[in-house]
Amino acid sequence: MTSIWEVIDRTETGTFMEESDFDLKVVAKKCKDLVKEHDIRYDPKQIITSDNSLADDVFEAGLRLALEAGIYCIDTKRVVRFDDYELKEGIISAPRRLLIGQNKDSRILYARRIEDERAPIICGGQAGAAIPEEWYLPMSISYMKEPLIDMINNGGLAVVEGRKVRTKTPLEIQATRRELSMLREAARRAGRPGISLLAAESSVSAMGDLAIASDRYMRRTDSHLVALLNELKTDYDRISKVVNFYEYGANNVTLVDPIIGGYAGGPEGVAVCFVASFLLGRAMYGSDYHVCHPIHFKYMSTSAPECMWNLSIVGQAMARNAPSIIMGDVWTSAGAGSEMVFYETAANTITNVVTGSHPLGVSATNGKYPHASGLETRFMAEIAHAAVRSRLTRNTANAIVVELVNRYVDRQGKPDIGKPFPELYDTAKVIPKYEWNATYLKMKEEISQITGLKLS
Amino acid sequence: MSEAQLFEELAKAVYSGDDAKAVELSKKAISAGMDPLRAINEGLMKGMGRVGDDFSQLKIYLPEVMLAADAMKAALSILEPEALKRGGSAVQKSRVVIATITGDIHDIGKNIVAMLMRANGFQVYDLGRDVPIDELVKKAEEVKADFICASTLLSTSMPYMEDLIALLKERGIREKYLVMVGGGPVTREWAASIGADGYGDDGDEAVKAAKELLQRRVSQ
Repeated sequence: MTSIWEVIDRTETGTFMEESDFDLKVVAKKCKDLVKEHDIRYDPKQIITSDNSLADDVFEAGLRLALEAGIYCIDTKRVVRFDDYELKEGIISAPRRLLIGQNKDSRILYARRIEDERAPIICGGQAGAAIPEEWYLPMSISYMKEPLIDMINNGGLAVVEGRKVRTKTPLEIQATRRELSMLREAARRAGRPGISLLAAESSVSAMGDLAIASDRYMRRTDSHLVALLNELKTDYDRISKVVNFYEYGANNVTLVDPIIGGYAGGPEGVAVCFVASFLLGRAMYGSDYHVCHPIHFKYMSTSAPECMWNLSIVGQAMARNAPSIIMGDVWTSAGAGSEMVFYETAANTITNVVTGSHPLGVSATNGKYPHASGLETRFMAEIAHAAVRSRLTRNTANAIVVELVNRYVDRQGKPDIGKPFPELYDTAKVIPKYEWNATYLKMKEEISQITGLKLS
Repeated sequence: MSEAQLFEELAKAVYSGDDAKAVELSKKAISAGMDPLRAINEGLMKGMGRVGDDFSQLKIYLPEVMLAADAMKAALSILEPEALKRGGSAVQKSRVVIATITGDIHDIGKNIVAMLMRANGFQVYDLGRDVPIDELVKKAEEVKADFICASTLLSTSMPYMEDLIALLKERGIREKYLVMVGGGPVTREWAASIGADGYGDDGDEAVKAAKELLQRRVSQ
């Protein structure tokens, strides 16, 4: 593997380029050319395609993009490139299995295959959201106490001790430490002290991350996210996070979230960009695993059909050609408390588990409002396990997902955002209130009938 | 080529991001004695309108929108001076100062809004990302902006939007500007709570909101 020292050297010595040239003449042009050359096409009726050659084409195009584009370092305006040998070395050495968490709460996080019959790892929480400090503890417990949830990725804190947290100020350190402290406390109270965390969401710059590399906060069996900036870019804040965790020994995770409609183009170009990002994330950040998060330019949600096609084709492309551990995000337009959130969660989750990724969510309302709870994530877990138990093929899964999409796609622009956590849960006992539980039971029954999956 | 045909070709050149063609057609319009203001409105603006419509339906993507905006800019550099020379007034455009606010380097959402505003006839001054609020205000004062627009993907950069409005009030210039905010974690309710004038859930809504705000201001 290319050493982090070498990576830092290349940020100082790589080809100098203006950022707008990298965006348009490199990323936009190459994505467009590669999509055309490989005749990659998005078909809304084939959200989960069974076409292996399409997955292989996406991979081949992504590998070419990774080789030819490299990663742009914003701070130095230089392009960090990796050769074919280095990229393939990254693929070969990528972890297929990782031990996460401790003692009875530990799990093996593994690289899923297409139509994998093994139980997926369920990562629960409202990732990406700013969660009010006063609810953070009970909300986290609501996820931790769900036995089907294997690991946690909850949101960050935007207010700490009544003070609004501003980026790159001392409060970022306080917020990140408080987030980790509360997650640890929630784990203890839920009787799962060793549960693995994918955390430090309050650390938007490197400051918070640097402050939690200690067993009191982040253990070595935990993980943190290091984003690739849109598209194929990084900066010294991201690289500082990597450097810190390299030595500390916890897991680096590439967060890749290309925008459909952005520099990479439409769904097809974004798929190519995803593969390139994972390969480059492994080479540059030494990432132990990746988070796949396609963003719809209007709705954001990963449950939009174009985004699920990306989750599906990218998951398959990687599973067939570069087996890696991938968590596929489940971000819904609708919020907890609504009925719509169940349709989106079901479609998104089935897509993930059948095509090579583990589900991570539910980030209801795309993390815009703290309208989330453990209950819809229990549903995500139930769907994921049922899909695997039923040995859904890609073909069958596609028919189910297309049917589910019809029930929400027209409402993604104006979704039912549901209710905030304290209106859904008894926050003292941390149990769902009657109405929210009744909605869950009703929707579970309805979706069981639509999908044919046994959810009990 | 008739006037209508030339304007249509101009619209097509803008749509396809062909700046050389857009410049060539603009020169042709002038030498044929056509009204440069009409060439702008019925050619360039029409082309950019189609760009905005198709982008909002994902028929084209951000790079195509950027190329179209460049083609329009190139053509305007020919048509606008000619309009002035012929005694007309300069094309009146609302001025927008836009940036991704302090602490945040995520700028693609802001870029999309900036492009769509350009496509809809606004004169946009894009200051980039991680921009301190006093720089936004300084630029707005310098170009006599109508709008100050701030974007962020980070909830921890949202407080800087409040700071922006507070700074405008502190300097006694709040009423001079229409302030719009947006970005991933920003909600309509939050925008209202800090006293912003406008908000957009996405690029299309931001443009729509800007137009409505402008109309309201004019009719007041």
